[in-house]
Amino acid sequence: MDQSARGLSEDWLSVWIGLLVFVLALGLLGGADILGWVVTTGVWTDVSKALNPVSKVYSGLGGVGALIATYAALLVVMTAGAAALKADLKRFALGFTAVFWISYLSWIAGSYANFAVTTPADMQKFGITWSLRLTNEGGFVIALIAGLVVGNFFPGFAAWMKEAVRPELYIKAAIVLLGGFLGIMAATQPVLAKSVLFRGLAAIIEAYLIYWAVVYFVARKWFGFSREWAAPLASGISICGVSAAIATGSAIRARPIVPIMVASLVVVFAVVELLILPFAANAFLAHEPMVAGAWMGLAVKTDGAAVASGAIAESLILASNAAEGVNYAKGWILGTTATVKIFIDIFIGIWAFLLAYIWTNYIEARPAGDKAKVAEIWERFPKFIIGYVLTFVVVLVLAYGAAPEATGKIRAAMGEANTFRVIFFIMTFFTIGVMSNFRKLWEEGIGKLAAVYVVCLFGFVIWVGLVISWVFFGGVKPPLAS
Amino acid sequence: MEEQPKVGEEIRKMPVEPLLSVEKKLIGWSLGLGIALLLILIVLTRAFPVSAG
Repeated sequence: MDQSARGLSEDWLSVWIGLLVFVLALGLLGGADILGWVVTTGVWTDVSKALNPVSKVYSGLGGVGALIATYAALLVVMTAGAAALKADLKRFALGFTAVFWISYLSWIAGSYANFAVTTPADMQKFGITWSLRLTNEGGFVIALIAGLVVGNFFPGFAAWMKEAVRPELYIKAAIVLLGGFLGIMAATQPVLAKSVLFRGLAAIIEAYLIYWAVVYFVARKWFGFSREWAAPLASGISICGVSAAIATGSAIRARPIVPIMVASLVVVFAVVELLILPFAANAFLAHEPMVAGAWMGLAVKTDGAAVASGAIAESLILASNAAEGVNYAKGWILGTTATVKIFIDIFIGIWAFLLAYIWTNYIEARPAGDKAKVAEIWERFPKFIIGYVLTFVVVLVLAYGAAPEATGKIRAAMGEANTFRVIFFIMTFFTIGVMSNFRKLWEEGIGKLAAVYVVCLFGFVIWVGLVISWVFFGGVKPPLAS
Repeated sequence: MEEQPKVGEEIRKMPVEPLLSVEKKLIGWSLGLGIALLLILIVLTRAFPVSAG
């Protein structure tokens, strides 16, 4: 199918949506509070006080008004995006409505004081005697569980909303916005930011040269998989789940069913990791926050689940440290996860080209017209990274060395953009859950593929990732909150 | 409409393919280069330790 018939790619759409929110948020620098109506949720015991517009300028709107305004605005923007994707607009609008409301209600539930409060002082403030101490980011886990329930027990409902179940679109738009948020941090802590970027290079080496080679060997030698299955499987487990499996499948000219099944498997395992690893990181790495952040980026596959794990790990670890009287600045753990993941993503195109070159020349030699082409590197480059780099650099340039008043305005603008980022995150969690149909995968007879995944993931990917994270990020601490 | 093949069946029908020497080279070179580059990076990060600010 040609590109005009397919419409815009989700990848490019995420860039445009992220940049739209980013540019509108920067209106604050000129005194125009364009996005201040977006809804934000505080920890609550009385639900009528949970919601508020992010900016006091729009306080007249009230919490429910802000929520409805946020839904309406996102519905319009996302449906326009769906038109660019050439999706079925009616189905998308209805599906998006369900995705938004279930996701946001999960977020509100997660902010209930008995779930979210983390310190004795806050327990006293809210008049409660117990708390699960999940922080309000526990709402991510509730959204994920809601998605899993829909995906596994209500397949008809999941199919009905399918047009809007697009976790990759939501997480990529969120990552574009995350760039601006991290830009502010880099401007205020340039030396630490440079160190994180430099250490992030280790992730590229680990994912492509260590993980890939070992998983490929295990799949081929121990489990007897053919090359057609082993290569996409190695990329799915080692690099970045879905996109790497699909890029590799296409590079080695595998049948479409191969990368699709590998990608489905990756999504399911990423959910399992997402439910376990952030809590393990908090239990064992609370005093090494940056190690925890890097570990999430290296061990959890798929962009969505990895960055989501970083977000949960950050909230849990910041809360654990706060309970001990150490208040680290927000954003550095998540920023480390995102940096690691994005560094890995950048090389997908080059890796796929390399594999295509080896396969079409040495393994399954092809006629000249069907050999690997350099243009494939750009075709497979994840475009959302362009949006991420753009928002990061723009904010870094604006904020680096700026006067405190200007920095305050940029911070406020990124705070508003960040509120949208959180909403995209919540929808990512919910839709990842909806896509993870465990029963269907089992019925497909995917046991042997899953066995390779279990052996590699729990046998060495998680542990090697932990060791490398420790070697490169051990002893590196986030700055204290000002 | 043509029925989608079951993955389990596809995997059972998978041909036996011994490791070719080019695959062994790919695995060996990847691991060797990866370990060497990691060691270089470790040396560089120790040479330039992190300081906040």
